[in-house]
Amino acid sequence: MHSLIQLSIAVLLLPLLSFVILIFFNRRLPRRGDFVGVGILGTTFGLSAYIFWVVIVQHYDPAFRVAWDFTWIDFGNVPGVGPLVIKMGIVIDNLTAIMLTMVTLISFLVHLYSTGYMKGDKHYGRFFAYLGIFTFSMLGIVLADNLFAIYIFWELVGLSSYLLIGFFFEKESAADAQKKAFLANRVGDIGMWLGILILYSQFHTFSYHEIFGHLAAGEFGMSHEWLTAAGILLFMGCVGKSAQFPLHVWLPDAMEGPTPVSALIHAATMVAAGVYFVARIFVLLTPEALYVISFVGAFTAFMAATIAITQHDIKRVLAYSTVSQLGYMVLGLGVGAYSAAIFHLVTHAFFKACLFLGSGAIIHAMHHEQDMRWMGGLRKNMPWTFVTFTVATLALAGLPLSSGFMSKDAILAGAIGFAQAEGGGIYYLVPFLGFISALMTAFYMGRQIWLVFFGESRTHLKPVDPDDHHAAHAHGGEHHGVHEVSWNMRLPLVILAALSVFVVYSPDPLDGGKGWFMHMIQTPETVVGETAHAEPALHMEVVEEVAALGGVQEAVGEHATAAMHTESHTYADPRQAEIGHLSHAAHNQAIMISSIMVALGIALALLFYVFRIFDPERTARAIRPLYLLSFNKWYWDEIYNATVIKGSLVIARFLSWFDANIIDGIVNGVATLTRKFAFASGNFDRYAVDGMVNFTAFFVNTSGAFMRKLQTGKVQTYVVMVILALFGYFVYYFTQLVY
Amino acid sequence: MEQLTTIGINHYLTISAILFSLGLYAVMTRKNAIVVLMGVELILNAANINFLAFSHYNGGMEGVMISLFVIVLAAAEAAVALAIIINIYKIFKSVDVSSIDSMKE
Repeated sequence: MHSLIQLSIAVLLLPLLSFVILIFFNRRLPRRGDFVGVGILGTTFGLSAYIFWVVIVQHYDPAFRVAWDFTWIDFGNVPGVGPLVIKMGIVIDNLTAIMLTMVTLISFLVHLYSTGYMKGDKHYGRFFAYLGIFTFSMLGIVLADNLFAIYIFWELVGLSSYLLIGFFFEKESAADAQKKAFLANRVGDIGMWLGILILYSQFHTFSYHEIFGHLAAGEFGMSHEWLTAAGILLFMGCVGKSAQFPLHVWLPDAMEGPTPVSALIHAATMVAAGVYFVARIFVLLTPEALYVISFVGAFTAFMAATIAITQHDIKRVLAYSTVSQLGYMVLGLGVGAYSAAIFHLVTHAFFKACLFLGSGAIIHAMHHEQDMRWMGGLRKNMPWTFVTFTVATLALAGLPLSSGFMSKDAILAGAIGFAQAEGGGIYYLVPFLGFISALMTAFYMGRQIWLVFFGESRTHLKPVDPDDHHAAHAHGGEHHGVHEVSWNMRLPLVILAALSVFVVYSPDPLDGGKGWFMHMIQTPETVVGETAHAEPALHMEVVEEVAALGGVQEAVGEHATAAMHTESHTYADPRQAEIGHLSHAAHNQAIMISSIMVALGIALALLFYVFRIFDPERTARAIRPLYLLSFNKWYWDEIYNATVIKGSLVIARFLSWFDANIIDGIVNGVATLTRKFAFASGNFDRYAVDGMVNFTAFFVNTSGAFMRKLQTGKVQTYVVMVILALFGYFVYYFTQLVY
Repeated sequence: MEQLTTIGINHYLTISAILFSLGLYAVMTRKNAIVVLMGVELILNAANINFLAFSHYNGGMEGVMISLFVIVLAAAEAAVALAIIINIYKIFKSVDVSSIDSMKE
């Protein structure tokens, strides 16, 4: 076994150990065992960092890959299925190494942060236990080398998110939110499982590597449409976990969990799992599946951004921005900007974790006030939080010199390349929605920063709610008692903010492509054929166009033409090559447009909230329908209530009626019949059978009594009987003689 | 008429039947065990008369032989029976056969 594999097994199992220790013994340990969680996660991060060092820094090879597996369950030859062997294994490549480090670092920082944030909670110890199993599940997804294993950990992530979102389960809204999250995820998971089964039915293996190998060899026995369906079904898992439209509704409600959990869910673990999974299976996605993915991503990014503009809750704005950014990543994968999407996944993880932890610090300092309307002026009270939050905001908005700028622009460049490669038209919608979302992102983040940190304190403006004792506590004009949080909450903020700066990823602030990250994560070659997409004329045209742009090598043209002539399943996918080169060419264009968009967004935010040229409330009234649409989250909850939930309830009620009347009727009918039959049988037993038995007894009894009388015991009586018998015999004998 | 005056086999058989009936009557009705035993002797002797009569009119000696046998048998029987009666008397202090009904139980 490779030493890296051994290390990664330790990385995987340590958080589980933390969970086991804390769930059973937290009450017996000093400080409820928080040092166990933090210590173990620190160790885990150390090991991951070492793996990162070996894989990324020492090897520095885009094709690096170490794998190991063992047979877990061997069912032998199952009738109707064929040989069924389930293997478990670990694969370590650059993507794994980066994800491992990211997940463990953020999880470690969240653990550390929680020692401050959750202090005094009555389930303090259990919180760390849940964080442990959450991290374990996510690491399992990252390390798994086959679809079966990833599905197991996928469900474990669902479970642990359920536990953490409903951590304050005494609150009804939290209990509802956890159920909603779990159910929404289940919908996606069913699709994912069907997708896994389609692939399994063809190849009889769950392993990525083997599936890709078979696909590349053209061994997929079903039609191209089935492969597309498999890709889209697998993507459904991502739609659930990564909160894409139409299953995005759970994520904003997941804000009911404690804020450190929000940071973990929204940055490193849960939502990243979906994007990571699509990246893992990227090579088997057909162009048709990729169209679906790109449009879903673009629409999600746009819709969530419009909602984020009008929300008042500080965490809700961030939640919708997460949905929106996840839309970007999915869009990136859909348009084939693979490395850019992963890049955005990682950069987003850091700055979004920073934003959530920052908002947690604010909420903590404001005594659980989450409404931005009653904040303001916090920059003086909380300088550390202010600076780190602002850095992360700049990254999220995509300002130059930040990490988010590089990754987002790489995705947008990919989107432009995609639209050009597909020949424009409707495909331009994808980059268009992307840019519009970038504008809105800048706007709502500017709004948030301003409402929270600038201006004067507005705590006293909050309408007094007699039920809310926090409000009474926070009253008094100035931020009474609002001050900077302790070091263990500040340190994670600083580290995460530092990771949101461009130098970590690339020396050139304008081009992430020059950094180590984009070098290490390169778009893998697709394993599916071009059967549906192959239109030679278009290809030639595009290749010429690309050549005209000047950024093309001869090789690409050759590959494209070779692929077209043979029409075989080929590694060198001309479509990917086109998009790649068009994206490269579109890079500067993307930077320009997106910078303009970001500038516009920030300018709008300034106009609305700083210079007060437009009054937000009057504007809201002027465009009331649009405002209401955004404020009520496009009414998705209401739509789902009216359709899916009502529908389910109607079906449930019908089934309940069916159960109560038909099924129970049948059961009761059977019971009545049985009862009747039992009575009949009982009566038969009582009268017929018992009657016969009793009659026998009676007969024996009476005949016995009669015979008994004959037995007088007197010799003479017997003599008489003998004589009579003899006499009788003689009479009989002689009558016989006569006749 | 001749049949009544001349002694023939019918006379013997009639005597034998009367004797048998008297013996049977004694066995069935008498209470004293000794008398019952005497009734048995009568029956045996009735049988003897039958044997001798048939033997005489048949011209063989088998009947005579068997009747001698019966006399011997009767003697032995009387001895055994009397011994039984003595024992009965020892147990029940009575030789009344109608009162001895312990076989009933």
